[in-house]
Amino acid sequence: MEEKVLTKNFGVKNSHRIDVYLERGGYQAVQKALQMDPDKILEEVKAANLRGRGGAGFPAGVKLGFVPKEVEKPKYLCANADEGEPGTFKDRYIMTHDPHLLIEGMIIISYCVGIHKAYVYIRGEYEHIAQQLEKALSEAYDKNYLGQNILNSGFDLDVFIHRGAGAYICGEETGLLESLEGKRGYPRLKPPFPAAIGLFQCPTVINNVETLSNIPQVILKGAQWFVNKGLPKDGGTRIFSVSGMVEKPGVYECPVGTSLKDIIYEYAGGLKEGKKLKAVIPGGLSAPILKPDEIDVPMDFDSLMEAGSMLGSASVMVIDQEKPILDVLRVISDFYSHESCGQCTPCRIGNSWINKIIHRLYREKGKKEDLDKIIRLASNMKGKTLCPLGDAAALPILSLTQKFREELETYTES
Amino acid sequence: MSKEKTKMIHIQIDGKSLEVREGTSVLEAALQAGIEIPHLCYHPAFPSEGSCRMCLVEIEGRPDLELACSFPVKDGMKVSTQSEEVTKARKNMLEFLLAEHPLDCPICDKAGECKLQDYYEQYGFFESRFEEKKEKKEKKVEIGKTLLLDQERCILCTRCIRFLKEITGTRELGLFNRGVHTGVNIYEGNPVENNYSGNLVDICPVGAITDKDFRFQTRNWFLGSGPSICPLCGRGCNIDIEYHPGFPHFPVPKRVYRIGPRENHRVNGYWICDYGRYHYSYIDEDRQEQIVDNKKEKLDSWERVLDFLKERIKKLYYMNKTSRIAVLTSSWLSNEELFLIRKIFQEDLNVEKIFLTDPLPGEEDNLLLTPERSPNSKGASQMGLNFKELDLNKLAERTEVLLMFGSHITEHFATAQTQEAIGGIETKVLLNPHISDLNSLMDVVLPTCVIAEKEGTLTNVKGLVQPFSPVFEAKGHCRPEWEVLVNLAKKLALNFRYYSPFTSVKPIFKKMQKEIGFFGTKK
Repeated sequence: MEEKVLTKNFGVKNSHRIDVYLERGGYQAVQKALQMDPDKILEEVKAANLRGRGGAGFPAGVKLGFVPKEVEKPKYLCANADEGEPGTFKDRYIMTHDPHLLIEGMIIISYCVGIHKAYVYIRGEYEHIAQQLEKALSEAYDKNYLGQNILNSGFDLDVFIHRGAGAYICGEETGLLESLEGKRGYPRLKPPFPAAIGLFQCPTVINNVETLSNIPQVILKGAQWFVNKGLPKDGGTRIFSVSGMVEKPGVYECPVGTSLKDIIYEYAGGLKEGKKLKAVIPGGLSAPILKPDEIDVPMDFDSLMEAGSMLGSASVMVIDQEKPILDVLRVISDFYSHESCGQCTPCRIGNSWINKIIHRLYREKGKKEDLDKIIRLASNMKGKTLCPLGDAAALPILSLTQKFREELETYTES
Repeated sequence: MSKEKTKMIHIQIDGKSLEVREGTSVLEAALQAGIEIPHLCYHPAFPSEGSCRMCLVEIEGRPDLELACSFPVKDGMKVSTQSEEVTKARKNMLEFLLAEHPLDCPICDKAGECKLQDYYEQYGFFESRFEEKKEKKEKKVEIGKTLLLDQERCILCTRCIRFLKEITGTRELGLFNRGVHTGVNIYEGNPVENNYSGNLVDICPVGAITDKDFRFQTRNWFLGSGPSICPLCGRGCNIDIEYHPGFPHFPVPKRVYRIGPRENHRVNGYWICDYGRYHYSYIDEDRQEQIVDNKKEKLDSWERVLDFLKERIKKLYYMNKTSRIAVLTSSWLSNEELFLIRKIFQEDLNVEKIFLTDPLPGEEDNLLLTPERSPNSKGASQMGLNFKELDLNKLAERTEVLLMFGSHITEHFATAQTQEAIGGIETKVLLNPHISDLNSLMDVVLPTCVIAEKEGTLTNVKGLVQPFSPVFEAKGHCRPEWEVLVNLAKKLALNFRYYSPFTSVKPIFKKMQKEIGFFGTKK
């Protein structure tokens, strides 16, 4: 069953407007939260086992707990709305249909941590959504959900929108911070983690849009309710972005742990025009590819990890039999070599080198050792880069080259 | 630095037990213990960047290899810098670095002192497996007055960018484009323009930034190097002078090819300024190499000149007319030489007319360059010499013997003016390492050494007394001033027992420490 919790306002007329949002129970969580002890909110988020929806799946409550309590410096919140992972389009739906849900989540987290300035870092391409968010913010200011002394609670919060300029790397949290500071979007060495030293060298919480949008219901309905919605260690529902050769591509909200097979065949209506399934990328482009016999897998972080892939941003990309696998490999490699920021050696050179080999395979018959070379280069990149981009590129390339070796060998001398 | 913060802990690197300060990085700990971990982007003057990925090491209990440059040591930590996994990762990283590299070592100015070349020789030795087309980038970008950038050789360690951010604060260089197309460059039309730009060549670990002043002049492996002190301002920056010792069978156009910083955290850190770096021509050019005898009295050897001088001075001494001797000193002289001038002229001979002629002050900057354009003005001021105010008439009035060290007087007075004033002086002797306009005004000109050719100590503006020794032999007939002064004193036989042990600089320094309070309290 598709669960409508996060997406309950999707499709409702003018759902992006605050009056509609309020009519449908909006901002009640803020009212409740502002009466609560911030520590109680933190406990609740921890107990909900809400795992980050951006891709890494780090427990949101634990991350919040890392922020030092007593500091002289200001603290910041950044909503990561960069949504750069190919195949992922859930955050844009939330921000288009229900911007106040995100704002409400941001207010609660800010109150919980003691933050008075929050940013939405939104990808440059989402210009219209940024404009809509601006409108939503001014509505929230008008009704005093933002600004000084919110709802007479004594709590102040300002939210700013910052548009990115079109770099995948700025979705990586420290690349995002650099970009937000006005610098080149280069990831930082970690540690220190942003929770300790983040934006402008101050403690900073960075959460994905969907993660933050889950907060209101955790507060309203409680952690237990949230856990029950999903799995004990991975609570709630997720918005799956389904694309590719399916009958009904789009976003589907399902409980964490829903089978990948069901998502493709039940919700998305199966493959288009009776085409046959060749492969699935289950969690955004950086997730290792799955073959048709591997898709009977629950969509949660741990199960997919066991299956040798990852849930990532829960973006399901369906590839049919007619699609040459070299095309898929090229698309993956084109993307990562284009988006590698160039800071660290293995990602900068590794991605470009692999990409050059793949393009050569289109021009001429490849050498026998080319596939092994791709595997070797991707392996040398894996785990050696400054930020997760290197792994994000190496993992899908490795899995695809290994799993579809036979087909790829038709492009090389035997 | 507070002492309670320096907690010492114990770690092991490659089985070697080390005691290191808490908070040090694994790389720093290793380097301190003489264990080499290859690194390119790390530089001790800047925070770790972690981009070259060459310093990956294995740390017991950690699932992945860790960056030695940014990983802090912890008590009981065990590090391996030589395990199979580490050497493999290192080799693979080198393969990445060299894949897009132009490999133009034979025509690269940095060859021979290039870290990439060294590391390949130590840790690489693989055949190239890169069969694709290499990226084309800018090969010859003029990023500064003396700097050329080759973007294809650049490995993007960003040391140069960080230097201009952290040290000079001028930020002339930045990164442009993305991924494999990334390149260092200046912002359009705004070249690197600061007094420390030459350091970029030193800190570039590869041949990306080269120095137009040095480029293609020689191969660096032909050069010898000697430690010295930069004499061009009062800071006393520690330098290495790189010189060509010459080939057996064909001539080399010059001796000194390059000046570089020598690390000293009490003075100049890792850097020197461009003023000190590029004005080294004074060492080799326009040098006074022979004795000039304008009197034509066969004053053509040191022996004869000193005898001549002795006679002139002795005569005045016995006539009790040493007030008719004038001595022009300079802060380009070492502490020992100034001390000898004090002993011989001020104390033994009671000469009153002692003057200081220094170069005119220049511009200073907020890092190293001081307004003083001589290396020992602090030493000169602490020597207890009673300098008279520099006045040509007073200098010349009734003067019969004039002894002049250096030609800096030309910066204070026009030569014609000096000529008019000193024209009537009977005996005029100049001791100078360089040919100057004064030569024709003198009876005798004696060739002396530059700092790089002699021994002594200098006192920098902060009061630090720093020793220096000869980097190479003196040119022509040049002799160091201290030796000339000692020989003169011996000839004058004023106090033979005092001067006779002065066969080198050390005993003079020791005497000076005993007699001059300022030097006694210092090392």
